[in-house]
Amino acid sequence: MTEEEVEEFIRASFEENFELLRMSSGHSITDFAKTAALTQVLLYWKKLRDVALTVTDTEIKLTLPDCVSPDGRHYAIEGVVDIVRDSDETRMYDIKTHDCEYVKANIAQYEEQLNIYAHIWQELRGQSLDSTAVIATALTDDLRRAYREGDAGKLATAIEQWEPMVNIPLDHHKLDATVRAFGEVIDQIENHEFAPPPVSRLKERASPHKPIPFGVDVCRNCDARFSCKSYRQYAKFGVNKPDAEIKSYFDDYGSDVDRSEWLDGNLPSSIESELNV
Amino acid sequence: MKEITIDELFKAAGFKPNKAQCKAIKHIDGPLFLVAGPGSGKTRVLLWRTVNLIVCHEIKPEEIYLGTFTEKAAHQLKEGLRTLLGRASNLTGKSYDISKMYVGTVHSSCQRLIADRNFSKDRSRRKPPLVLDQIDQYFLLQDTKFWEEAKEALDLPDEFFNLINQRLSNDGRYRNSQSKYVAVQNCISLFNRFSEEVINPDEVIEKSDDDILVTLAELYKLYLEMLGGKNRTRVDFSLLQQEALNAISETGQSGSVFKYIIVDEYQDTNTIQERIFFKLASGTNNICVVGDDDQALYRFRGATVENFVQFPERCKKYLKLEPETIWLNTNYRSRKNIVTFYTRFIDKENWKSTVKGKNYRLVNKGITAHSDDGAPSVIASTKASSEDVAAEIADLVKSLLDKKKVSDPNQIAFLYPSLKGAHPKRMIDALEERGLLVYAPRANKFLECDEPTKIFGLFIKVMGRPEKGPYSGGDYNDFHNWLDRCESEANTLIRGDRQLKAYIKHKQDELERINHDFELLSSEIQNMGLTLKSNYEPDKHKRKLSEVAGISSQAKKSITGSAFDRIARLRLQEGNPFQLNYVVNRATSPDWSVLDLFYRFCGFDHFKAMFDLAEAGTDEGPVCNLALVSEYLGRFIEKRGSVITGSFLADNKFQNVFFTNYLYTLFRMGEGEFEDVEDPFPKGRIPFLTIHQSKGLEFPVVVLGNPRKGSGEPQPVEAMVRPFISGKGEPLQRTADFDDMRMFYVALSRAENLLVMAHLSGQGVKVHPHLKEMLEDPSIDRIPDFKMKSLPAATKKQEEIPKTYSFTADYMQFQRCPRQYMVFRKFGFVPSRSQTMFFGSLVHQTIEDLHNRLISLNGGMQ
Repeated sequence: MTEEEVEEFIRASFEENFELLRMSSGHSITDFAKTAALTQVLLYWKKLRDVALTVTDTEIKLTLPDCVSPDGRHYAIEGVVDIVRDSDETRMYDIKTHDCEYVKANIAQYEEQLNIYAHIWQELRGQSLDSTAVIATALTDDLRRAYREGDAGKLATAIEQWEPMVNIPLDHHKLDATVRAFGEVIDQIENHEFAPPPVSRLKERASPHKPIPFGVDVCRNCDARFSCKSYRQYAKFGVNKPDAEIKSYFDDYGSDVDRSEWLDGNLPSSIESELNV
Repeated sequence: MKEITIDELFKAAGFKPNKAQCKAIKHIDGPLFLVAGPGSGKTRVLLWRTVNLIVCHEIKPEEIYLGTFTEKAAHQLKEGLRTLLGRASNLTGKSYDISKMYVGTVHSSCQRLIADRNFSKDRSRRKPPLVLDQIDQYFLLQDTKFWEEAKEALDLPDEFFNLINQRLSNDGRYRNSQSKYVAVQNCISLFNRFSEEVINPDEVIEKSDDDILVTLAELYKLYLEMLGGKNRTRVDFSLLQQEALNAISETGQSGSVFKYIIVDEYQDTNTIQERIFFKLASGTNNICVVGDDDQALYRFRGATVENFVQFPERCKKYLKLEPETIWLNTNYRSRKNIVTFYTRFIDKENWKSTVKGKNYRLVNKGITAHSDDGAPSVIASTKASSEDVAAEIADLVKSLLDKKKVSDPNQIAFLYPSLKGAHPKRMIDALEERGLLVYAPRANKFLECDEPTKIFGLFIKVMGRPEKGPYSGGDYNDFHNWLDRCESEANTLIRGDRQLKAYIKHKQDELERINHDFELLSSEIQNMGLTLKSNYEPDKHKRKLSEVAGISSQAKKSITGSAFDRIARLRLQEGNPFQLNYVVNRATSPDWSVLDLFYRFCGFDHFKAMFDLAEAGTDEGPVCNLALVSEYLGRFIEKRGSVITGSFLADNKFQNVFFTNYLYTLFRMGEGEFEDVEDPFPKGRIPFLTIHQSKGLEFPVVVLGNPRKGSGEPQPVEAMVRPFISGKGEPLQRTADFDDMRMFYVALSRAENLLVMAHLSGQGVKVHPHLKEMLEDPSIDRIPDFKMKSLPAATKKQEEIPKTYSFTADYMQFQRCPRQYMVFRKFGFVPSRSQTMFFGSLVHQTIEDLHNRLISLNGGMQ
């Protein structure tokens, strides 16, 4: 396949998957998000073709069965990975639509996860494994900026400097603790306990290395924040606020750049398409 | 890698199948006919049978077709397979990937079949036609242009809608109706039946001397033409199946693409589906069907129970083989007396066929209860008026809850043939008087529930209310009455919430400003001698537009912004300039979509309280309704785009499209309910369901609220198509009685521990004759004498097959924020801006396709 054919293949399969997902889930995503998703796949191919070309097993489902939660519920844990196997080593990759800064900053949770997968692969499946890594396909702020500006040179530099592959050390010691924590979460889900994290958490950094608080990093991207008691406290929104603050609390559609990005991503491109929708 | 036997897998899973189950699981050769009574473990058998094929007989998952009829059943099968195969992987060291397997609803598999290279002559891939769901189909067929053209081409009389309604309406109340809406819905049901039975309209036109039917067949032809004639680009659900059958008829190899065809709920198949299944099985003869003719409920959707009852004959016809028949007849669900009660009930009907020695039902199923608990488990109310019966049952329910015989109100289900009418309403009132909450989405039109009424009321306040046109008619008036209610409820909310008042005012001002800007900019464009379609050339137009007197600073900023200016110039250079329409819309559109507005409304106290209740696990009802509102808004966005442009707002277009067109249609369709395939009923509420909704479910306590006698009349659409259907079916005149029997059989067999029957009497009350006999039997236990002590408490059931949770989508999402997990993953709110599973799945599946392509090229790409 030539370079163009690969890209064409990606676009065609992307459209097909989009339709299938729309059918099965009964809902869709905005044009803007759709473009962002396609960009991630194309960039993955551009940046990590060496991995893509050597993958030997893709989207392998790994299951840890027969787990029991503290409340006695039986359950299984499932995850999906890609494997690259060549003559002298086997590598396991977990592709995530997170950005690499986030992954680096929250490395502990990815360690938990990949070590469970590694355990299933090595112990239950009896396969060899030499190393694991997360591939973080989301665009970093630098990349997004470069795309927005549309300058080919800047974009090339940003892609060059992008490090989407984050190595995760293998360490089986945490396994039991992870399974226990997982079980606790299952019990909370099944017991219908869904309180948000306390406001103190929202004020903290989203993660140790990220200078943005949780309340911005996570909550500002959550549509359900307006009815959330923790977020309201965080945003200091209460009963006796003047009208101007009501506006700024509810109309937080981001910076001017964010706003025009949303508009340009979603506006019908011509009067004909506007009438046809 | 290690070989393993199915018995070893049973053992590892702690599963001890009974003899019939075991035989069905291990059957691998030729056609298999599984007759599975209620609660007989049929899903489990299907799952294990599939696992046996994949793990012990090395059949690839993609060589198996596993079809069912509801999303819920499809979900259960997928989940169950993932768990069982995941466990097997660890024993065998092999990976079993079901991501490319055909497992799901028949409709979703039809879409895949059309696009599947394996069925095309040259292995090319065909783009599947766009599928119209029920709402899309309605919008297409109600199109004014369609009817104008039809009127001219077919010379339709003015009162044609009324003629259709007289002949086709099921409900007598609509037979005098002039309504286009009713007529279009009637046409849809008839057209769907034509499609499902593959009836050729030309044959109808030629053979029939029924003028109306001939005209309807002509209309059907016009409808088919509208969808693209021979090369359909759009299909409805019924035609989708025809397309699939055509697609797999293209090559001679269709019969061997799948090595095994397994179809669940086979009593619900229609004619065309039967043809698809036998076609797919024609090369291997390995077709296994599972079902229960006594639970066939979907005649009105084209289901043909004969496909199941006569399956052995059909096998002989299509495959020249006799299937092996296995009866799964041990009931593991219900206490003994419940099983005895419903088997006695179904045997009361005379099922004898006109053909000697034959029956319209598979008789002598030999259903027996696994339970040997012979204490009373079927009780009837005192024979009394509807009010008194409601009071007696409500007291019983209250004490069941007080005595902790169930762990949540959602374990007590009230089942009715229909939730419209006086009886369910009285029952709901009686429960509510005792402080109990109910969940009854079908008792009213969904939009008339409290939450949608208030939310759409706020939409009216912000977006403006559509004018009432000079039409009359029941539905139209009802809709406008509902809009009145919306508005007045919204006014009450606003009066009680100063912040909401300020926010609404702010939005109104914003839209006023936008309308004003749009008018000024459009008239300036006119003054320049241009139209909105003209190309935008920054050098010529930017200054003029940005300096229009009176436009807002926001609009000005949008036009002069440097980033936009750069892109506009770049596009002009590239020969792909923006239209002026784009520039104007960009300057005059709010930053928000209808979903954004919805989520902001949810932030005000009245709605916030509903989220708080759900978070604490106290009452999930209101939030379920809000989730459904978000789904409807999401659909609107899918049709119309996220941005509410200035041109969309102008001339009241938005009001007309959003309220008068979209919401009015939803309002008339009436239905709509929250659907969660894993956890169908909100915690904290007693569900009120139609018997149809309860199919496939089970509840510790079931109340049959209205054991009414049916009309006995066959459905008009059925009568109309009957002459064109070949084969020996049930006599038309008996279908209604048979359908009633099956419906009540389903209702009675849902109960696990206790079945409560309302014994109604009084003026106008007509009880189903067979149920009446059983209710008047002096030996039946009555509520006042019922000893609660003998009733076991419903325990939380251990899932038969442990649930699988995803590390990413469950554990990590929950850890990040439990509340966000609840809103989007548990209740399925349609997000506006939050990134969702959809996004991740789209990226992952595309990368997977890329990998597979590269692997298959095996180094061919340098």
